[in-house]
Amino acid sequence: MSALDIVRVGYVKELLAKGQREDSRGMLDFRNISIKTGIIDHAEGSAQVDLGNTRVLAGVKMVVEEPKPDTPNQGNLVMSAELLPLANADYETGPPSPASIELARVVDRGIRAGNCLDLEGMFIEEGKAWSAYVDLYILNYDGNLFDACELAAMAALASAKMPGYKDGAADYTKREKPAKINSIVTSTTFGKIDNKVALDMTGAEESAADGRLTIETDGKIIRAMQKGLSGGFSAEEINGLIQESFKKHAELRKRIEESIR
Amino acid sequence: MREIVLPGTAISDQRISAENTYFDGAKTRSEVVGLYDSAHNEVIQLEGRWKPRPGDVVVGIVERVGRNGVYGISLTEAVDGLLIQDKYDNARFAVGDVIEAEIRDVEHKRLAVLERPKLLRAGSLMQIKAVRVPRLIGKANTMITQIIELTGCNIIVGRNGLVWMRGSNVAAATAAVLTVEREAHTSGLTERIKSMLEKINGNESRT
Amino acid sequence: MGSSLNKPELIVNGKRLDGRDFGELRPIKIEAGVLKNADGSAYLEWGNNKILAAVYGPREATPKHLADPGKAIIKCRYQMAPFSSLGEHNRTGPNRRATEISKVIREVFENVVITSDFPGSEIDIFIEILQGDGGTRAAGLTAASVALANAGIKMKDLVYAVSAGRIGDHVTLDFDMIEDNYSDADMPMAIAPRNNELLLLQMDGGLTIEQFDEAVKMAIGAGKTISALQRDALKRVYETKVSQ
Repeated sequence: MSALDIVRVGYVKELLAKGQREDSRGMLDFRNISIKTGIIDHAEGSAQVDLGNTRVLAGVKMVVEEPKPDTPNQGNLVMSAELLPLANADYETGPPSPASIELARVVDRGIRAGNCLDLEGMFIEEGKAWSAYVDLYILNYDGNLFDACELAAMAALASAKMPGYKDGAADYTKREKPAKINSIVTSTTFGKIDNKVALDMTGAEESAADGRLTIETDGKIIRAMQKGLSGGFSAEEINGLIQESFKKHAELRKRIEESIR
Repeated sequence: MREIVLPGTAISDQRISAENTYFDGAKTRSEVVGLYDSAHNEVIQLEGRWKPRPGDVVVGIVERVGRNGVYGISLTEAVDGLLIQDKYDNARFAVGDVIEAEIRDVEHKRLAVLERPKLLRAGSLMQIKAVRVPRLIGKANTMITQIIELTGCNIIVGRNGLVWMRGSNVAAATAAVLTVEREAHTSGLTERIKSMLEKINGNESRT
Repeated sequence: MGSSLNKPELIVNGKRLDGRDFGELRPIKIEAGVLKNADGSAYLEWGNNKILAAVYGPREATPKHLADPGKAIIKCRYQMAPFSSLGEHNRTGPNRRATEISKVIREVFENVVITSDFPGSEIDIFIEILQGDGGTRAAGLTAASVALANAGIKMKDLVYAVSAGRIGDHVTLDFDMIEDNYSDADMPMAIAPRNNELLLLQMDGGLTIEQFDEAVKMAIGAGKTISALQRDALKRVYETKVSQ
């Protein structure tokens, strides 16, 4: 972080302590959300999500592979995230960072636990099943990659079309039926800064935050959670945030559905 | 007449001496995205990092405190400041303090030796593109003087792009500074900023 | 060049598969200044290629021992996204092809960037191929050139790149993926428009000296269009509406 960033983080911290935000939204408001699907026609599914100034692109490739030995009758989901060095001055080239691995695993967990993608329906025949490779490309960083990536992965999967299948291999010249989606999971990530809780933190707010909590839900039950950073949350606090997360689900889900039409 | 030029654009079929240009045989070409002002024979850069020069006033943040009044000052990502205080100067700074200073010397184009430091207390700090700073200051300080007068804020503009301000009307001053940054290449800007601030002042006095 | 087995007919009734003439470019769209955090950026669509280029710097060179006290160093990374091709999923990370392309693109910019301006610093160029359909190095380089100018990096010229080659007896411009795979020669070029100097030149396949001359002429002819699109993209950034 540059010295100016340190000053900005200090300023954001002061504001949050008063229950205010640098962009003057409410503590539990999202920034503007835009979801566009079908951006990369070479991918079977794709979505670009803008969450304020955070921009991520998710691409889905469907590949014919051997099913995993422990799940011989279903397909597979492989999630990766890359914090591209063009997204932020602090991101470096090189092997995946712990932050990008955590990001991909948390998004993966919610979608997997919610049984969003119908993995059983992706079984083709003995020894053959579809694997969905979801790659999350971070293009511009300004905080809250978790929720942006969850929206992008979900919208990319829900808009994906399966390639054809011929003689034991994928036929990429064909796009047949849509990928089967059982449910839509959305995520809400809260930050805790000096005992104040804020949804959808900007980059400066994330730098100021002591604790972070991601809650993923399908609208009925909790599907995955991840607490990050060193700060803690009380059980009562978490209970309140789960209820908030359920409330936000309807709107986020609507945004995903609208993006697919 | 001012027109937008790009790297490689020929601005003259003769060799003329102008900043941000180079000679290509008998021709003179622009090196940058800029505005070419044929009356003054200059190319004003529209993008790019700040290059420190002796005499520049800068706003910096104290990053390191050494012994005997030696300080490392953060100015930009590519340029560091070094301040060595006079032994008779009792003012002392702490890490995180915001200061205003003047550049005495530049070493290796990326270390600015500073002098005449002044602590800037309890204000707010913003960053704009350094190439837009000359427009924010204006010819003979017209633009910045106007913003200071119409907002009543105390504003210090660093050539490095950091702008410090304090006063009851920081929001209006910030809006004015950002507008200048965004529209630096347009004409009639001084008048537009004036009416923008007068409108804000008018709305406030009515409420 | 691809194998001659199952080679599709690339020219039917004197036209290319997508209906283009031999010397015709695919449609190109360029937008400058698309990413908030980068110092300069450009998004480019060239046929079915979709490319994002961004520039950071001049900033402090890392690691420090790489810094050159006499000039700025340039780093370049070209990468294909894992979802960028019509077929299988590609793994990310550097491979030999991407490493070579990154190197030859860097060398082009070492020619035109005025590196004495910020000694001891580095300029980073990132080229992400979001969707690839042949000619990605030329398209990526063309986008990077716009991103560098958009970052305010001093340069002698606004370089463009394009590829030409041969299908049968025809010297042909700007191959898409199928043509790229089955053509008889491919020659990507980067050219400085002010003097038509070739700053990147790679070739494989087979060309006669006459065909080489014709291919270069074709590339320079197309360069007028590409250069104009680069310039328009950079100028459009300043067409913002003024406040009122």
